[in-house]
Amino acid sequence: MVGPAAEIGLSPCPAVGAKSAASCGTFIHFPRLAGSLGSVRCFILPWRACRQAITALLLGTAALRAHPEIEAALTRLNSAIAAAPENAELYLTRGDLYAKHDAWIPAEANYLRAAELAPLLPGLARARGALALSTQDFHGAMAHLNQALELSPTDAEAMILRVGAWVALGNRSGGLADLEAALKLLPSPGPELFLTRAALHVSPADAIASLDAAMARIGLAHTLQLRALELEEAHGHVDAALRRLDTLARQSERRETWLKRRGDLLTRAGRHAQARTAYADALAAIESLPDWLRDSPDSVALAAELARLAAPQPPSSS
Amino acid sequence: MKLARLVLLISLLAGPSLQAATTVVRGPYLQSATPTSMVVRWRTDNTEASVVSYGTERNQLTSTAKSEGIVTEHIVHLANLQPNTRYFYAVGPVPLMPPANPNAPVAAKKAEAEDAPGRAAVSSFTTPPPVGPAKPSRIWVLGDPGTKNAVQKAVRDVYYKFTATRATDLWVMLGDNAYPDGTDADYQRAVFDIYPETLRTSPLWSVLGNHDGKSANSLTQSGVYYEVFTFPTQGQAGGVMSGTEAYYAFDYANIHFVCLDSHDSDRSANGAMMQWLKADLAATQRDWIIAFFHHPTYTKGTHDSDKDNDSAGRMNDMRAIFLPVLEQGGVDLILTGHSHVYERSWLIDGHYGKSDTFVAAKHVKQKQDGRADGEGAYRKPRRRTPNFGEISVVTGSAGHASAKPVPLNHPAFYLSLNEAGSSVIDVDGAKLEFTFLNDKGEKRDWFTIVKE
Repeated sequence: MVGPAAEIGLSPCPAVGAKSAASCGTFIHFPRLAGSLGSVRCFILPWRACRQAITALLLGTAALRAHPEIEAALTRLNSAIAAAPENAELYLTRGDLYAKHDAWIPAEANYLRAAELAPLLPGLARARGALALSTQDFHGAMAHLNQALELSPTDAEAMILRVGAWVALGNRSGGLADLEAALKLLPSPGPELFLTRAALHVSPADAIASLDAAMARIGLAHTLQLRALELEEAHGHVDAALRRLDTLARQSERRETWLKRRGDLLTRAGRHAQARTAYADALAAIESLPDWLRDSPDSVALAAELARLAAPQPPSSS
Repeated sequence: MKLARLVLLISLLAGPSLQAATTVVRGPYLQSATPTSMVVRWRTDNTEASVVSYGTERNQLTSTAKSEGIVTEHIVHLANLQPNTRYFYAVGPVPLMPPANPNAPVAAKKAEAEDAPGRAAVSSFTTPPPVGPAKPSRIWVLGDPGTKNAVQKAVRDVYYKFTATRATDLWVMLGDNAYPDGTDADYQRAVFDIYPETLRTSPLWSVLGNHDGKSANSLTQSGVYYEVFTFPTQGQAGGVMSGTEAYYAFDYANIHFVCLDSHDSDRSANGAMMQWLKADLAATQRDWIIAFFHHPTYTKGTHDSDKDNDSAGRMNDMRAIFLPVLEQGGVDLILTGHSHVYERSWLIDGHYGKSDTFVAAKHVKQKQDGRADGEGAYRKPRRRTPNFGEISVVTGSAGHASAKPVPLNHPAFYLSLNEAGSSVIDVDGAKLEFTFLNDKGEKRDWFTIVKE
């Protein structure tokens, strides 16, 4: 995968052979938008060629046999729809059930039926937008999600979904605006959303600032601090990176690997004396461990390496 | 007409008193326990203030903790507690004053506190011990319990009989806690109505299952699961700060627990959960590492870990991406559910493929049954040694076993049973004992790991 999506971490699905029961196409996984919102696996559907199958699935005549755990839920919904065939909400629910199990064809069919019955049904446009993202119909997704946000301007889930559409269409700033708006609405967003926000910033300084703002909000989450450290290192901000390393080391019961990394960073920056001090500190951190941790194979190997790195360098022969 | 006026008059007069008669409809229940803190949660049918009265004597609940607001969903953080100490507590809208006569006999004082008008009952909990030193610990493990049916209750009652007066130090749910959709109503009936006694005396920890995920979203930290539970996002219970309740860690005595979200968080090798896991495993100094998540790395029960399309590849991800890191980090025990059976491995390491690639000579590190009264316990060096082997347990039948025959033929497992039941872990210093109890009260499996 290339282009803006790849730049912010949207990549081919890493799942080992992850294919849905209904699948015969290509999946793309959006790791930064994981979850029911953004488990946005993209699949090219030849669904118009499958109308007969869609009809059968729409009517519930072909259960998801590969997913026995949802058969009961499907049976309940089928019965409810049989009793109230004009109830659009039931079709939306059944479409969601299929979509959660990556069965895009029957999901689409049920959403279409719901749209026929009640075009403005709450949640329907968002669901159709999510499905369009899953089928790589990004313009369609944008249209559905625009409608969802017109109907419900504070729908954070729709905003986050639209981030995916913006990015796929090459508009980072649109995605960033939606993500900022969604983050303001969410009471306790997870770190992944803040990592995505940082990735949407073009400027490293802006990305770092956004991570600091995130940590001010949700605490010094390891992954946010680590990403900020990586950005500082990548852009040569040695002292800022050292401060972040110190924070990470303070948060850890075992400081030796962070102190080793501090030494490595200082070495790369040509600050060799300070680097040796950091390596010596790391060695001391290992020495202070209880013996059963100090004597573990990892610790023994690291201590040997640190002892070599911390040793005074022989004077130059020149 | 007269009758209607009378009813109106009665309702007007009765209104204020009815308003005051707030009822606790959920809990209290205990969350995010640390040696010095506890989160107490409960729900009332009407809004009121959130106050916990507590103390180390049942009749002397002289300390109070409050949270802001007039609410129905009460979350109160008790801080500055003493480790390994039994606290008595009561929840309500106002502090529970000490009994009028402190010199009264103990029995009378107890009755006075418990029976005071408008007061909730007095419950108790014991704070976790200081982190690090060993302490005999009992852990109850429930996988996929939330069926609300007689099997779930039978499994519960078997454990209650088994543990009797031995306190449950903590309990763990492996996801799918409330069928079918993890809604608030499902949680009420499948969790809060089923385990009220354990909920108010032992802290409950959980991971997200696929059925919980129908009403929750890990990315936004929203939905019923995230509203019902309070888990540590700041590393306050031990481990590295994750910033999310979807995956987190906590310590209990000399045990480090790692809780992963196999359902709804990014499972990629460079994702946030993996970055956090690596840092967390590298940081811990506990003797034991127990990891738990919903989707099993191996199973041939009601799910098949060999099928790529089963559970949308989540089992593959946990086996191929996360298991190597857990093993490298020295994990001792992996607990999972999802498959409604009981499956228990030998001490194994290094198997990340499909079942047909499992080679006992290569992957089984110790071939005995693990039973001290059988072929002998599993033995591991106390010094943390990567890839020395772990026991993998699928214990996903606390609500039901499979109604249909299932293969139960994964070669990684020493024992596979299609039986409802729950699991019990007893850790005492360098010894970990594991027991599986079925819903008939039979001890169907057991093994021991000893560190030396």
